[in-house]
Amino acid sequence: MKISLNWLGDFVDLSDHTPQQVADLLSMHTAEVEGVEEYGAELRPLVVGEVVECAPHPAADKLSLTQVDFGAEQTVPVVCGASNVRQGQKIAFAPVGCVLPGGLKIKKAKLRGEASHGMICSGRELELSDDQAGILELACDAEVGRSLAEELGLLDPVLELDNKSLTHRPDLWGHYGFARELAAILGRRLQPLPLLSDYPAAGADPVPIRIEDGTGCSFYAGLRIDLDAPPQASPERIQQRLLATGLRPINDIVDLSNYVMLELGQPTHAFAWPQLAGSCIVVRGAASGEKLTTLDGVERVLDPHDMVIADQQRPVALAGVIGGADSEVGDDTTQLLLESAAFNATSVRRSAHRHGLRSDASARFEKSLDPALADLALRRYCHLLAEIRPQARIVAAPASAGCDEVDLRHIDLDPERCAELLGVGIARDQIGAILQSLGFASEDAGAHLHVRVPSWRASKDVRTAIDLVEEVGRIYGYHKIAEQPLQAPVQAPRADPGRMLERRLVARLHGAHAAYESQGYTFLQHSWAERLGLQGDDFVCVDNPVQDGVDLIRHDPVPTLLEQAVGNLREETSGCLFEIGKGYRPVEQGLPPQRRWLAAVMWRPEGGVEQGPGSLFAAARTVAEDLLRCAGLRRSDPCPGAVDAPWAHPARALTWQDPLALVALLHPRLREELGARRSAIAVVRIDLDELHRLAAAAQPAFRPPSRFPAIKVDVALALPATVPYAEVENALRQAGGRVLEELHMFDLFEGGTLAPGQRSLAFHALLRASDRTLKDKDEQKFLTKVAQAAERLGGGLRS
Amino acid sequence: MRDRLEELQSQGLAAIQQAEAEEGLRAIEVRLLGRKGEITSVLKSLGTLPAAERPLLGQLANEVKQGLAEALQARRSDLQALAMAAELEADGFDATLPGDPLPGGGVHPVNQVSRDLEDLFQSMGFQIADGPEVELEELNFDALNIPADHPARESHDTIWITPPDQRGAGKQGVVLRTHTSPVQVRALRRFGAPLRVVAPGRVYRQESLDATHEHTFHQMEGLVVDRGVGVPHMLHAMNTLIEGVMGRKLETRLRPGFFPFVEPGFELDARCPFCKSGCGVCKNSTWIELMPGGLVHPNVLRACDVDPEEFSGYAFGLGLSRIVMLRYGIDDIRWLMSGSLSFLRQFHP
Ligand SMILES: [Zn+2]
Repeated sequence: MKISLNWLGDFVDLSDHTPQQVADLLSMHTAEVEGVEEYGAELRPLVVGEVVECAPHPAADKLSLTQVDFGAEQTVPVVCGASNVRQGQKIAFAPVGCVLPGGLKIKKAKLRGEASHGMICSGRELELSDDQAGILELACDAEVGRSLAEELGLLDPVLELDNKSLTHRPDLWGHYGFARELAAILGRRLQPLPLLSDYPAAGADPVPIRIEDGTGCSFYAGLRIDLDAPPQASPERIQQRLLATGLRPINDIVDLSNYVMLELGQPTHAFAWPQLAGSCIVVRGAASGEKLTTLDGVERVLDPHDMVIADQQRPVALAGVIGGADSEVGDDTTQLLLESAAFNATSVRRSAHRHGLRSDASARFEKSLDPALADLALRRYCHLLAEIRPQARIVAAPASAGCDEVDLRHIDLDPERCAELLGVGIARDQIGAILQSLGFASEDAGAHLHVRVPSWRASKDVRTAIDLVEEVGRIYGYHKIAEQPLQAPVQAPRADPGRMLERRLVARLHGAHAAYESQGYTFLQHSWAERLGLQGDDFVCVDNPVQDGVDLIRHDPVPTLLEQAVGNLREETSGCLFEIGKGYRPVEQGLPPQRRWLAAVMWRPEGGVEQGPGSLFAAARTVAEDLLRCAGLRRSDPCPGAVDAPWAHPARALTWQDPLALVALLHPRLREELGARRSAIAVVRIDLDELHRLAAAAQPAFRPPSRFPAIKVDVALALPATVPYAEVENALRQAGGRVLEELHMFDLFEGGTLAPGQRSLAFHALLRASDRTLKDKDEQKFLTKVAQAAERLGGGLRS
Repeated sequence: MRDRLEELQSQGLAAIQQAEAEEGLRAIEVRLLGRKGEITSVLKSLGTLPAAERPLLGQLANEVKQGLAEALQARRSDLQALAMAAELEADGFDATLPGDPLPGGGVHPVNQVSRDLEDLFQSMGFQIADGPEVELEELNFDALNIPADHPARESHDTIWITPPDQRGAGKQGVVLRTHTSPVQVRALRRFGAPLRVVAPGRVYRQESLDATHEHTFHQMEGLVVDRGVGVPHMLHAMNTLIEGVMGRKLETRLRPGFFPFVEPGFELDARCPFCKSGCGVCKNSTWIELMPGGLVHPNVLRACDVDPEEFSGYAFGLGLSRIVMLRYGIDDIRWLMSGSLSFLRQFHP
């Protein structure tokens, strides 16, 4: 919204403040002013000129040769094409070098052989009016050489505010509300708004007005006006204020409506009275399929939820949004019905949204305007109309339906509580004075102040004592509040073991596994989910997705991480991304159950070791096991194969206490599909809620280290390759029994001297007892048991 | 004999001082003090002297021997030190050769900032609270004093799970939470007053993606409810937060802001840390809008079964995504959710 400082000056004295100072006052006390600009500033280089000579152009009928005096030492020759140029005229002159509002730069020129050093401008060229007829004629007493902008009083500093910062303040949708704020902030007098005080007596046949939809419209007033002549251009002053605040002047009847709206915030609408069939007004819901051609020329099919203003036969306006084309005030209209009403905010907002039509009127009605404004706006309109058209006639007092009275709201305010919440030493009297400056009435009532809320604040934002605290605080000045630490003693916050576990896992992932933490969207593209083999009907779905087709809510972060990994492939041949994030599953009613996940995706170029130590799969497994260990989980054996993860390789996968943890290579079908043919991709996924639940129970216990020396034994087994490693390790651990302290495989190979289908697994074993020094025979016993185990598995010990 | 001794002493000391290498010293030692050395033979010949001269000359000879031995030792140390110095100087070791490659790895900048702030607030007695991102309409709106017909609830602002025909009074509508504020309600309902919590997390709005707009971003909510809490306490927490996040104290100012769940509501501006007299970041105003906040609306306290007559509170919300962008000078918000390694690596130099 644009606020003109000249306009504000009608109601409060701001002459000792710069525009920026006014802007800052509003920003600090009322609502943020986003910018200050000077309307008319682009006209600053133009000056008042006088046509001192004027003769026909020798080579062109329609051109004149003039000499223009614009206050410089010499007059300059100017070729002018306007028919209304003549000697002695005062004109708007653009000297050489100046740039017109439309961007045209004035240069020395020759027109049909004659020099022209400047331009005599029309109102249209200066974007002051639509008048194309000829050059702009200035008053004959205009001072030659004076800035045109000053001469015309065009300069007007304009404040820009974001409408969003005003949504809660129905009183701030016009200049008068801002003037009231500034008067309160500066402690100055607010000038009363000049109004028509007395309507003529009501006529014998008042306009019949009927409100059928009382919730949509609580009050409707229609005022009959007879004009002395059809609509005409408004006076300059009114046009300029409209232009400065961003509205295009149309004719005086429409301009006055807009002018009143920009002053009070209350939209009014003038109907061409003869066009209203049956000379009556009905405020009602639209009938299904009913049509209305609106002022913008669009034929709209109305919705039964739309509220319309209708005459006896048809809708003539979409209530609070836009008027109808049929009843528009035309060039020959002299009889008007001026509407001023109180429409329901939500009803107007929905209609405006439904028809994609956010008008200045609807933007205001949807803020819950003060119903009392309806009559005020009519009286203001009449006052202004009398100023510009003394001959126009108010036919009778407005006819109305409904009620424009607001319930008088009273609030009891505890001044001590007010001062405590604001944290400032503000006295009871000062609180009362601030409230009164904003139009609240305040009187003592025991320990409290008994405060009456004015109608313009009662329709929406001021309801309870805390709302008054805000009023007092912001006018007093928030900048006067000094910070202060909480007085209550600091208590150690509740421990959060889940979060601490999360921190430990993150530290391991980036510290030990070179992984980068990522963030991926909660939304999944339908097609991406399908490519991964995930079923669309198994998801929570978004009703209004941010983008077509991106309508699924992820189960866990794996799909998005995979997408990010694939996105990285071209630049990064290997890497690891992880995310801690939430996932959701659909539910019949209420809140979808949520799980917290940790997921990591690792990738490397294809090739290299395929399985066992050194392979990508082993690296992923190490990550998973490290994280489980980090959570304090004791060794637990994984099961081969992935459950319930269509993106996982069915065989190259492991799960721990499904669904606790899962490690898998990407399904081979997908590597092709995702364009990741030359990369190996592995996924680690851990259910953090489950991990947290299990971790809570895990607590390491200390055992004193053995004082006795250990024996290192290396064993190598040749076994059929079909025997899984896990079985071999199991057998060795059984063979070692309690004295086997450590066991790890250091070599794995096939081929060489081995029979086909055989492979060799070599282990380091560390034997140690807690109560004695182990002897050679202990080692022999271990080796014998290992040999027996190897035989049982279909192979033997290698020497 | 005395002359001989004195001559040996002076010649010996001179030779020792002139020796340039340890081998030379060893030769001198052998020549003078060895088994067949000159001093040794003098000592041996002491027996041939008259008994009266023996003690004096014997003492002298021993002194000479000792003096030479000490001189030898001292010179040897010097030479060793010189040799070590020469060796060190001639050392071809290039200490500037690179170390082993760093393995990489790091946390997301948003999470880094979030975790830093969690620590800061925990040290001030705040507990960390969490809530679901897929949230009940009741907690995201109703309990936060956002009226049923408020435009923020409409589909062009809020991402809904529940279709329009199934929303409304008495129905359990589900949305993607539009702010972290529902965690205020969850925490207050669960723990009651007095309470201090911060709640970091993801929030969602119906936005089209571009360099400055994201539909998914991160916030951190702070809430304190206690007896006698007022605006100065909120201001203190906000200033502490800004110091924590920007690394130094910045001048701040409170001005009015409107949010249905607080009253009075505020915007906190901080002096632009990037300029003295205006720049692109602060839109030439020297102030940056950093944090909304306010006193918890009595209706919110009531919705959480907290008596607004006894307790008051403040709440603030920090846009973590925006703060991270400011702190690191990130010019496009889409980087944050990109998963691009070339982006993520930059925060771990
Ligand atoms: Zn700046």
